[in-house]
Amino acid sequence: MNRIVPAGVACAAFLAAMALHQKAGAHGFAGDRFFPPTIATDDPFAVDEFAFPTVSYARNRAADGSPGNREIDAGFEFDKEIFPRLALGISDRYTYQDVDHRSSIHGWDNLAVTAKYEILIHPEHEFIVSLGLESDIGGAGARSVGSDTFSTFTPKLYLGKGFGDLPDSVDLFKPFALTAELGQSFPTRADNSNTFQTGFALEYSLPYLEQNVRDTGLPRPFRDLIPLVEFSFETAENRAGGGLTTGTINPGVLYENPYFQLGLEANIPINRRSGSSVGFTIQAWIYLDDIFPRVFGHPLFGE
Amino acid sequence: MNIKLFRIIAVLLATVLTARQTASAHAFLDRAEPKVGAKIAKPPAEIKIWFTQELEPAFSKIQIFDSDGKQLDKKDSHLDSKDRKLLIVGVPKLAAGSYKVSWRVVSADTHRTQGNFKFTIKS
Repeated sequence: MNRIVPAGVACAAFLAAMALHQKAGAHGFAGDRFFPPTIATDDPFAVDEFAFPTVSYARNRAADGSPGNREIDAGFEFDKEIFPRLALGISDRYTYQDVDHRSSIHGWDNLAVTAKYEILIHPEHEFIVSLGLESDIGGAGARSVGSDTFSTFTPKLYLGKGFGDLPDSVDLFKPFALTAELGQSFPTRADNSNTFQTGFALEYSLPYLEQNVRDTGLPRPFRDLIPLVEFSFETAENRAGGGLTTGTINPGVLYENPYFQLGLEANIPINRRSGSSVGFTIQAWIYLDDIFPRVFGHPLFGE
Repeated sequence: MNIKLFRIIAVLLATVLTARQTASAHAFLDRAEPKVGAKIAKPPAEIKIWFTQELEPAFSKIQIFDSDGKQLDKKDSHLDSKDRKLLIVGVPKLAAGSYKVSWRVVSADTHRTQGNFKFTIKS
C-alpha cells in the first residue's frame, strides 16, 4: 500500500504535466518568453541546437609546484529533437595548453552525450521543467590533457522561469528570466569524488522589454541584446577533495539574430582552486531550424 | 591543424550565410502602432504590428482585450496588401482605459510565435 500511494501520486503528477504541456517547437519558448541558449550552463529546452564554435581562454599562474599555463579550448554542441520533447546531444572540445617552460599539450576532451526531456511547460507563467542525463565517455579523449579514463553519469534537473507574469506596477522587471541546472555526478571509478553541480543564469531580455513591455526606442543592435550573469559551481561530496567547491561567475551579453546568437562572457574564478585569473568565452549558436526549416525544428519521429 | 580548423569554420559559415538567402525564420514583433506600452490620447482605428518576417495570413491574427478580458477587435486580422510583414486588425472606437494586444503568427516557413503587450488611452 505504501508503495502504491507514492506511485499513484507520481502517475497523477506525470499526467498533469502532460496535460499542461504545450508544444514548444524549435527554439526555447515558454509562452511569450524566448529562453536563449546560455554559455556556461545548459538551458532547459529539448530542441535542435548547434553551438559552434565555443572558444574560451584562460591564463593560470604557477602554483603549488605546478607550472603556469595558457589554455585555449574550442568546442561544439549539437542537439537534435528525436521524439517530441526528447532531444539527444553530443558535445566535445579541443584543448590546447601552452605550459610555461615546457612543450605544449593538446587534444580532445572526452565526448559528452546528453539526453533531455521536457516534462512540463506552463506558457502563462513562462515556466519549464526538464530532466536529463549527461554521460562523459571515459577514454574517448586524450589523456595528455587530463581526460578521464572512466565514464561519469550525471542525472540533471533543469528549470526555467520568466517573470512576464509580474504585476504591471513592476513591469520593468518582467524582462528578467532565471534558468537553473542541477546535477549529481556518479563516476564509474570508486576512488573519484561524486560531485553536485549547480548552475544558474539570470537574464534581462531587452527584446522582451521592447516587444512585450515598453517600446523605449532603443536602436538596433542594442534592442537585440540580452545581458546576463551565469553561476557555475561544482562541489566534491566525498573522498579526496570532499566538501571543496570550485566554479566561476560569468557576466556577459548575448546578441540575438534571426539566424544565430553570439555570446561573450568573462569567467571569474570563485576561489584559488578554480583558477588564478579571469578568462573569457565567446560562443556562436546557429539556429538550424531557421536556416534549414525542412530538416530541423521538429522531431525525427512524431508530431 | 589550425589552418584545417579555420577552413572547416569558413566552410560552415559560408554554408550558413548562403542558406540564409533562401530561409525564413521566426517572426518577432519589430514595431507596433500604438507602440508597445504606449499611453496615447487619440483612440486608434486599427492596430498595426510590423514583424521581422513575412507571415502566413491564414494562421496569423491579432486580438484586442479590455481590462475585463472582453475581446473588442473586429476579428478582421489581415496582412497589408503591399507588406506581408504588416498585420492589421480593426477596432471599434475605444474608450479611455488599458488594453491588451495579443498576437499569434506563423512565419512564411511555418514557425509559430506569440506575444502580447498593453497600451493605454488617456482620459
